[in-house]
Amino acid sequence: MYRHLKITLMLLPALAVLGGLFLGGLFLGLMRSFNYMPVIGLTRPSMDAYLAIFSDREFYRSFLLSIHISFTSTLISCVLAVGAALLLRRLHLGRTVITFLFQLNLTVPHLVGAIGILYLFSQSGVFARLAAEMDLISRPAEFPALVFDPYAIGIILQYVWKEVPFIGVIVLANMQTMGHDYEAVARSLGATRWQGFRYVLLPLIWPGLLSASVIVFAFAFGAYEIPALLGAHYPAALPVLAHRKYTDVDLAARPEAMALAIVIAVLSAVMLAIYIRISRRRNGC
Amino acid sequence: MTGFCTFLACATLALLLPSKLVAGTTDDALLQMGWDEIVELARGGEVNWFMWGGSDEINQYVSDYIGGLLRDRYDIVLNRVGVSDTVEVVNLVLGEREAGNLDDGAVDLMWINGENFRTMLQGDLVFCGYPDLLPNNVLVDWDNPAIANDFGVPVNGCEVPWSTAQFAFAHNTALVAQPPRSIPELLVWIRENPGLFTYPAPPDFNGSVFVRHVFYHAAGGVETLPDAFDQTRFDDVAARTWRILNGIEPSLWREGQTYPATIAALDQLYANQEVAITFNYEPATIGIGIENGSLPPTTQGYAMTDGTIGNTNYTLIPFNSPNKAAAMVLQNLLLSPEAQIEKAQPGVWGAQPGIDMTQVKGPLRAAFDATERHPNVVPVEDLAETVLPELQAAWITAIEQGWIAHVGNN
Amino acid sequence: MIGGDGIWARWFRTLTCLFLLVWLSLPMVPLAIWSFAHGWFFPDILPQEWTLEAWRHALSDKSGVLDALWLTVGIALAATALSILIGVPAGRALGMHRFRGKAVVEIMIMAPIIVPGIAVVLGLHSVFIWMGLTNTVSGVILVHLIPTLPYVILVMAGVFANHDPAFEAQARSLGASAFQTFRCVTLPAILPGIIVGALFAFLVSWSQYILTLIIGGGRVATLPLVLFNFATSGRNDLTGAIGMLYILPGLLILLITARQLSGCAGAVGGLGRV
Repeated sequence: MYRHLKITLMLLPALAVLGGLFLGGLFLGLMRSFNYMPVIGLTRPSMDAYLAIFSDREFYRSFLLSIHISFTSTLISCVLAVGAALLLRRLHLGRTVITFLFQLNLTVPHLVGAIGILYLFSQSGVFARLAAEMDLISRPAEFPALVFDPYAIGIILQYVWKEVPFIGVIVLANMQTMGHDYEAVARSLGATRWQGFRYVLLPLIWPGLLSASVIVFAFAFGAYEIPALLGAHYPAALPVLAHRKYTDVDLAARPEAMALAIVIAVLSAVMLAIYIRISRRRNGC
Repeated sequence: MTGFCTFLACATLALLLPSKLVAGTTDDALLQMGWDEIVELARGGEVNWFMWGGSDEINQYVSDYIGGLLRDRYDIVLNRVGVSDTVEVVNLVLGEREAGNLDDGAVDLMWINGENFRTMLQGDLVFCGYPDLLPNNVLVDWDNPAIANDFGVPVNGCEVPWSTAQFAFAHNTALVAQPPRSIPELLVWIRENPGLFTYPAPPDFNGSVFVRHVFYHAAGGVETLPDAFDQTRFDDVAARTWRILNGIEPSLWREGQTYPATIAALDQLYANQEVAITFNYEPATIGIGIENGSLPPTTQGYAMTDGTIGNTNYTLIPFNSPNKAAAMVLQNLLLSPEAQIEKAQPGVWGAQPGIDMTQVKGPLRAAFDATERHPNVVPVEDLAETVLPELQAAWITAIEQGWIAHVGNN
Repeated sequence: MIGGDGIWARWFRTLTCLFLLVWLSLPMVPLAIWSFAHGWFFPDILPQEWTLEAWRHALSDKSGVLDALWLTVGIALAATALSILIGVPAGRALGMHRFRGKAVVEIMIMAPIIVPGIAVVLGLHSVFIWMGLTNTVSGVILVHLIPTLPYVILVMAGVFANHDPAFEAQARSLGASAFQTFRCVTLPAILPGIIVGALFAFLVSWSQYILTLIIGGGRVATLPLVLFNFATSGRNDLTGAIGMLYILPGLLILLITARQLSGCAGAVGGLGRV
């Protein structure tokens, strides 16, 4: 009995904060998305906000754009991170330097990276100027559109820049802890380099890679400031659309903003379920 | 360890502190007071002014110059709160009313006009009936319909003018020697110079006013549009406007597939020669931009032969401001000739006065007359030849929403 | 060693290494240049005029940048301290005990790491309005706990899972008070974990944008808000200077705590939300 009380007391503040703030916020968002809020006299729940967003073409375009941003940046980041880790793990000095650089990069906020990407890749940015210097282009419009573009290339570039180190650090550390033994055995048994990677190394780093990917995917899906800075004005990424509707002068748009927030929450709940399944299967860090 | 504990105690304490003290004087009592009483009431207090904060120069004028005078003369602390769009402030006050905060709001003064003013009035969010109490109110020309009406909505003692502004274009002389000097000429020019023009997507303030110029052109002149919103007339003119705007879309920057989101984004495109023409409701920003290095020195402001839209912008006290007396003292200071002249200096801001300078005599008047405009900013006389009025807010909202539905999201 | 490590392979690796180095630091370059430039337009590769004006302005009392810097530091420190205070006991409960409903508690602690802030904060905004917490520093600190607390708990749960309670029992049996035991036995053992957890909490709070924007209502002007405002208002010189200031604390913290970090990859995973 005493033990239970002690555990409860130890957990209580954390659960109060997360339950009150996190679940409370989600719950209130849900209520307001149904335009239901008895405290301010809204006593009849309605589906209007959901009907409004689900019948709006802009919602589907925004949703697809956000999925595209998350999926593409996660995939590219994973491939590059694993590739970099494979190349660098044997380079002793290189690994120390790169690991440190990766960590350094992890402390740089996304917002700063996004501004940097903007100055580098816009049609009059650093690369466009270099192209002009080399007479490849004569005016900015001839440089490919990489920011504010319909394919969200700028946004994806920013996520890749930021997430390759994140995934890379995890994969490098996973490779480090397992040593070379398994692979060496496989090679000595006649496995090719590819087979060694595919059947020995990849399964070992897979869980870490997967859970890192889920975090990256969910983050890219829900972040506001990066698409707000680098995205085209239409269609906007889902979080930008939600924020726009939330700050609309027309109060009727607020339940719609809440409904969009709930859509984002539902998708991230799916991500959470996947994440938990993965982390159940492995232990420690 | 001890330091850490002290720190934790401080952090916890900070969380527990009451957020604000409650205000004491009722609105009615305030409106009965004489000016000296109001100043005494305001003395030693603070005032929270929420305003668009995108210009460092305007911010400095407000924080340093106005804030300094307010501190030295009245012992009032001015907190300038910068926002990226005035709509956010309207929302803030609206949210407070929704949550039942009727006398202790966060906002004491806001910089406002047009749609936002209408929304504030409709939501019953405005403190009214006090401008006559301000001594400098005598300098305001309330007989001028462009002052007494804010985008067609009568001001009726609910706000106080601060500056007047008139839309102007600017071109990069290194790219375009002879810019188009009327809306029809501009439309032709865009087709002949593909990729060198665009405008910020409404509801951006400046993008929206550009679209209104095209709307006036499509209507055959603003005088053909009735004051009150007329749906049939709107549908007719709007259809033509969207046809024109969708017609030039392939000749815009990025073939019109996307539009810059803000005027600052357009200025960035302009500064880097992605486009050759920019514009602004406040022509003086051209001079400021050249001086601070955000616009190229080859920029020249110019007026249109068929006129451009002008407006007045105001300051407003929300209904639930807890520091109304201090806000009124601040408004009175903003109206003073010396503050208005300082604001008109090209190195400070360059904004045109909201008061009638012909009422001002003596050395102050001479100082104002001696004010020079930045050489690259369009001369006031060029602009003033034809000032087009703003439409009522209902028209503007309809135009913005129509643009989003028929041009922007198309 | 796997064979085939010829000179070309080594060259290839070194090149990749160099490429990564350049790629990782590249976006910082134009920001750094802009902070010393006066007007730097297409097609100039380098600014025509160099100046310290942006730095002078950013570091002067007038611009409010330094105020924002200290405010951001204060908020991040307060959120970190509260997270440690709340998170260490919770981490102990999760790391050292088995109990019914543990799985549910774990999911709840994991959830804020995956679910984005915007999904929660819009609903939370109305509660904070009622509680008078919007537009206040306290409200912002409180809302920052949502993303910071889970990292501290996760890190501490990992630390406590390897913690042997026998030492504590021994100290108590030798007559040490509960506080003495904590100070002299438990704390030294878990301190490295606390440092790592604090580092995450600080950096996560440091980089929050949308939570601060909505709950602070623009009035709690932390550095990311100021930076975003300048970045979207066309003052690239000031944006560059503020951007440089904004990444500085993170770099300093990393240099100081690099040793604690190098061990645990999962812990570094926490930085994914920074």
